[in-house]
Amino acid sequence: MTDSAIAVEGLSLTLGAFALRDVSLEVAAGEILVLLGPNGAGKSVIVETIAGFHRPRTGRIVISGRDATRLPPERRSVGLVFQNFSLFPHLSVVQNVAIGVRRDTKPTHDDMAVPLGNVPALLHYFSIAHLADRKPRDLSAGERQRASLARAFATRPDLLLFDEPFSALDAVTREQLRPDLGRIVRDAGIPTIFVTHDPIDARVLADRIAVINQGMVIQQGAAAEIFERPRDAFVAAFVGVENMLTGHVEGGSGDYARVVVADRIIHSRRSPDDWNGRRVVVCIRAENVKLHLGEPGSTNQTAGSNRLPGRIATVTNLGPLTKVIVDCGFALAAYVMSGEIRAGGFVPDAAVEAAIDAGAVHLALEA
Amino acid sequence: MVVRNGDPTRFSLASYRPDALLLLFWLIGSLLVGFILLPLIGLGMTQTGASLAHVARMAEVRQAIGLSVEASLITVAIAALVGVPLAYGLAYTLWPGKGIVGVIIDLPIVVPHTVSGIALLIVFGREGILGAPVGAILGLKFWGTLAGIVAAMLFVSAPYAVNAARIGFEAIDPRLQKVARTLGLGPWRTFFEITLPLARREIVIGLTLTFARSISEFGAVVIIAYYPMTAPVEIYNLFLRFGLNDAAGASVLLLIVALTLFVLFRWLAYDTGSRARGGR
Repeated sequence: MTDSAIAVEGLSLTLGAFALRDVSLEVAAGEILVLLGPNGAGKSVIVETIAGFHRPRTGRIVISGRDATRLPPERRSVGLVFQNFSLFPHLSVVQNVAIGVRRDTKPTHDDMAVPLGNVPALLHYFSIAHLADRKPRDLSAGERQRASLARAFATRPDLLLFDEPFSALDAVTREQLRPDLGRIVRDAGIPTIFVTHDPIDARVLADRIAVINQGMVIQQGAAAEIFERPRDAFVAAFVGVENMLTGHVEGGSGDYARVVVADRIIHSRRSPDDWNGRRVVVCIRAENVKLHLGEPGSTNQTAGSNRLPGRIATVTNLGPLTKVIVDCGFALAAYVMSGEIRAGGFVPDAAVEAAIDAGAVHLALEA
Repeated sequence: MVVRNGDPTRFSLASYRPDALLLLFWLIGSLLVGFILLPLIGLGMTQTGASLAHVARMAEVRQAIGLSVEASLITVAIAALVGVPLAYGLAYTLWPGKGIVGVIIDLPIVVPHTVSGIALLIVFGREGILGAPVGAILGLKFWGTLAGIVAAMLFVSAPYAVNAARIGFEAIDPRLQKVARTLGLGPWRTFFEITLPLARREIVIGLTLTFARSISEFGAVVIIAYYPMTAPVEIYNLFLRFGLNDAAGASVLLLIVALTLFVLFRWLAYDTGSRARGGR
């Protein structure tokens, strides 16, 4: 616990009909933890509790080794950035950035990437010095984001909290702002919690992800682990696993498990021994399904790979990629480069063989 | 009350081609505009510069208008100091009983003003449950005094100050206050540097209405204080003693003073605060 900059331990609270249950999170210095979950899951409540706006019934919030559970928000040293960036509309940009700076705030040394606590240097760093006297209403979305970051950094926070900062922006603006935000936060080396319902935010920004649903942490881990090895069907669906097939485990050999899905055998990554006979959700990302036109060459499949014969059901062009749904006893989605499609052959009812590496097949619990 | 020319697309449908419905509604509506404007213009037409000067030279008229302005401004000050905190409480408390408080605050609007005056006199009179102790301890008397006039004005006008300020507070995005707190501003600094400036416009509008309601109050005031006479009471007095002409002269004078102050307040509200909250 001591090696993480931020630790939330066993947080529980009730707000009307909503409850947080035993939420524990950890964020290391310079790390971005993304809280990912559907609307109403409790992500914002978690962030607002960490910031000090709700009193937890049980649990502890430790910020930089200091127990902050009972501190008022103004003494927790957290920077908060909301949707639309919540700049004070009656204050100019420089007034917004400077409002939280105390006279005894020591600016950081010159060698720091982001000049924390130094208002003129922050305006310069975020390229908004020329906008210092403008009101927020006269700024573009990008300028607002930079001004709100400058304001958050001006107080030298020990923790940055972002609550759906992109949710009101259009897709194009969002795509421009995302990489900037990740770079700046990492440059500053401040532990960060980023709330979103958009898996793409998580893909681009997260070092670690905590999937939240119904006020609980469903799964927490490295970003790649959440995307590749979702714990259950809820997480799998939320991180966008296209193929989720219900089956049951029937033994296995070596590194692989055997799963029966609609009378077909699919080899997957090894599952825990006690899963034998258990109903599971087979997770296969569509990009890991390779389609070969024509009847299968050999029907016998080795343990390391799956070869499933089937017929094309639908073909949908999504731009650079085309989504092909294959009927092989169950519906299986695959992506094919649209250029390959143009060469011909991928038409409904055509015979194909779907090849899936067993290492790309993950078993998850039913939700 | 608060006019916002927010979304221009809302107007595009109507302004694209003024249809028969819109024209008809304007025709009907203009009757009301004329109904309000004509009597005031008619009143103004009765006066010449000389007749106004004549009324303005009457000491009792000048004193009455002065007293009205003084009492109204004191009322506005009290409404601000007491009404704004109450509005803040109503806006930011999650308490099931606050609906009842809201209804209580609105009561003076529905109670006939002479009834308000009688009720005030019962409580604030020499023998009243508030009037007696306040008179004994502070030496403050309400019957026939400035204090009584202010009490009557405050009773009938305070709802406007409270309701407008409450609307102003409730319109503020609470995330702004949360951000302020995380930036190290305590509750007091957050109130004075964020919340109050953002609600300023509505508060000033509410106080403007409080002022307008106060300076025009007759029913409640005349019962608790016939003397000293406020302008509306003096006008009624002139009407009874000398007839329509003298009453009209004093009326025009009062109108000029009241409208000037009203416009001044409005200008204050719309000036810098006008686009402060702005939204996105």
